[in-house]
Amino acid sequence: MNGTKSMNSVRQAWLVAKREIRERGRSRAFLASVLLMIAAVTAMLVLPVLFTSGGARDVGLTGPAPARLAATISQQARAASITVRIHHYPSLASGERAVRDGRIDVLVAGAWRLEWRGRPDNQLKAAVTAAIQLVTVQQRATTAGISPGTMRSLLAPVPVTSVELGHVTGRGPADETAVIVMTGVLLFCISVFGSMVLTGVLEEKSSRVVEVLLAHMPARSLLAGKIAGIGLLGLAQIAVTALAALVAVTAAGSVDVPAVRATVLAWALVWFVLGYLLYATVYGTLGSLGSRTEDAQSAAGPATAILVVSYFAAFAMIAQPASAAARVISFFPLTAPMAMPGRIAMGATAWWEPVAAALVTLATIAALVAIGGRIYTSAILHSGPALSLRAAWRTAHTPGSRTTAGTGALPATALPQRAHLRSGGRTTMTTDPTSHRLLVTVLTGIGIALGVTAALLTRDVIIGVIAGAGFIAVTIQMVKLWGRHEGPPATPH
Amino acid sequence: MLSFDGATKRFGLLTALDRCTFTARAGRLTGFLGPNGAGKTTAMRAVFGLVELDDGTVRWQGRPVSAAERERFGYMPEERGLYPRMRVRDQLVYLSRLYGRGTRDATACVDAWLERLGLAGRASERLDRLSHGNQQRVQLIAALVNEPELLVLDEPFSGLDPIAISAMSELLSDQAAQGATVLFSSHQLDLVEDLCQDVVIIEHGRIVLAGDLNDLRATVPQRFIDIRYQGPPPDWRRLAPAALIEASDGHARLRVERGIDMAALLAALPGGGAGLVSFTYQPPTLQELFREAVAA
Repeated sequence: MNGTKSMNSVRQAWLVAKREIRERGRSRAFLASVLLMIAAVTAMLVLPVLFTSGGARDVGLTGPAPARLAATISQQARAASITVRIHHYPSLASGERAVRDGRIDVLVAGAWRLEWRGRPDNQLKAAVTAAIQLVTVQQRATTAGISPGTMRSLLAPVPVTSVELGHVTGRGPADETAVIVMTGVLLFCISVFGSMVLTGVLEEKSSRVVEVLLAHMPARSLLAGKIAGIGLLGLAQIAVTALAALVAVTAAGSVDVPAVRATVLAWALVWFVLGYLLYATVYGTLGSLGSRTEDAQSAAGPATAILVVSYFAAFAMIAQPASAAARVISFFPLTAPMAMPGRIAMGATAWWEPVAAALVTLATIAALVAIGGRIYTSAILHSGPALSLRAAWRTAHTPGSRTTAGTGALPATALPQRAHLRSGGRTTMTTDPTSHRLLVTVLTGIGIALGVTAALLTRDVIIGVIAGAGFIAVTIQMVKLWGRHEGPPATPH
Repeated sequence: MLSFDGATKRFGLLTALDRCTFTARAGRLTGFLGPNGAGKTTAMRAVFGLVELDDGTVRWQGRPVSAAERERFGYMPEERGLYPRMRVRDQLVYLSRLYGRGTRDATACVDAWLERLGLAGRASERLDRLSHGNQQRVQLIAALVNEPELLVLDEPFSGLDPIAISAMSELLSDQAAQGATVLFSSHQLDLVEDLCQDVVIIEHGRIVLAGDLNDLRATVPQRFIDIRYQGPPPDWRRLAPAALIEASDGHARLRVERGIDMAALLAALPGGGAGLVSFTYQPPTLQELFREAVAA
């Protein structure tokens, strides 16, 4: 009996998910956003190639010049990773005409003067100048009686390599850029698909369809199905965009894809799923508190604030991914989805760290599903002004007892219900405006202290400001949400 | 058969349902009456577990209602609502599937209902493109789509035009004739009187009257007499045990006790009832029953 019941709620959740995918998948807004994202990514990858014509340069030669000059220019250019095409001109005038028409980049007149159309291209200038010097030195050596063999050994190239230093050993600035972009994409996807869940919940509530649905299915199946459906749609959109990026890279050919390993990408995907599940649950719960679609923005506030703050925290930590602060934010479940992928990409984690953080996040998701499910269930049928978190929590059914509605209240479930009732009439702390102000002041104080501590610990003022301001913004939003519209809780007649 | 057995629900200090006990029988239309805020919506929500009772039980065929039973229930909430931007047919098939049908079965059933209510041509339009009346019809199909054994409708007649009212009446009677249990709330007492075999009257969360409408009317001690006459109005005070309720030119309505001496009453009329055009002796109308029950 219990088995078939849970089977049925899974079946219903899957139907809800399929509806989300179908209805949203064919909405014009969604298709437009998919096309826009593909276009943006393709443009980002292809346009730089088109603008920096990293292709061959044209060098013109005219007048008397050492025989080996053309070959040496080519060699020197190749050493500097430039391909050159050499053109010979019978007269200075014809060579200069070619420069003016833009057919060649530089004219080497008589092996001693370089003529450019505008400002010299420094890379090319260096290569050509080096070639001229080399040829001249060889010529003088021959004149001075030094054998070509001796000369060659004297002039053998000294290998000089250059390294771009990042903040972390083994990772360069390109890796840091890749990490920032990757974390930014995670932030974007989690907040976009998370707020889709929020507006979806709010739409169902404001159109009142939710009562028809919940008459035949548990609230948890409805929320779970919605989160799953939008999540799958999100994954599909990400996959399509990634595919477009891959095609663009292959077609454009010469783009240097940041060397991001497959394991890092796999972990980023895992953290997208974890972060999405966590925030979608929060967004869905917050959505159920409002009653009109206009409430969406204010309801989303705290969750979006936490997300953005954790992005900036992760951004600030990129230079010291192994520090204690970075470790803390990559383990704290609310910030982990933003902070952990970056640490993995920077090679700052032991193998067990992402696994442990993922488990902590999963446990948090489970807890949020239980808490959020209870709030959602009680708030979703409440009509009238937006509900406070506390009122929703207080009028909530005991989880899992929904089906006992018909079997009569068992003593075990009746007791907490009565307890809720008794506390219903009491005025509580946040209803009193003066103590509310006091609470805000205390929270602001804690926030400033936290900011100063963070600044001192990390020796970075910006991190301190982010931590302090973030704490204040988020907690005050929560207080507002918690205590909003104190009045008799959900009272349908 | 749907039965409420001591159903009690409190919201804070307000008792929305106070030990409600009544039944709605199969094959009959049961009208659920009561002033605004009396507890009708809460009681109907309790059938679907949308309201968790503090005490008491709602039973279907003698067993407490569970999720499996609700698959065979149809519900039309007071605040109508469907997905405004979803296509009519997709929407109804989706609901039918949620209630436990297979895709093909659900589609066939939805198409049959759309055909029957004259919406077949609008099936692939978005709901919000339909007129108000047609949206109401779609909402009704949403309640009927799985051929429910129990139909619970909260104010199904509100906002309907006279033609839609008679169509709805016919449909509900039809459902009852096919063996369904139909419980609906309404403020239109004359309509309920014409349509329903049973009524339940609720006031401040308490059931004040419930049962077969004819039985209820018969057991009430009051009777009403309508008199139409020609000529000058008689002196009503002389008809001693009768109380005058309303009088207009050529018509009067009197309240008397059951078992009154009719011959004496007629004799008391001026001229022994010479100007009498018509005389009816009847139990109270539902309107009167309701007023009596709610005022008590």
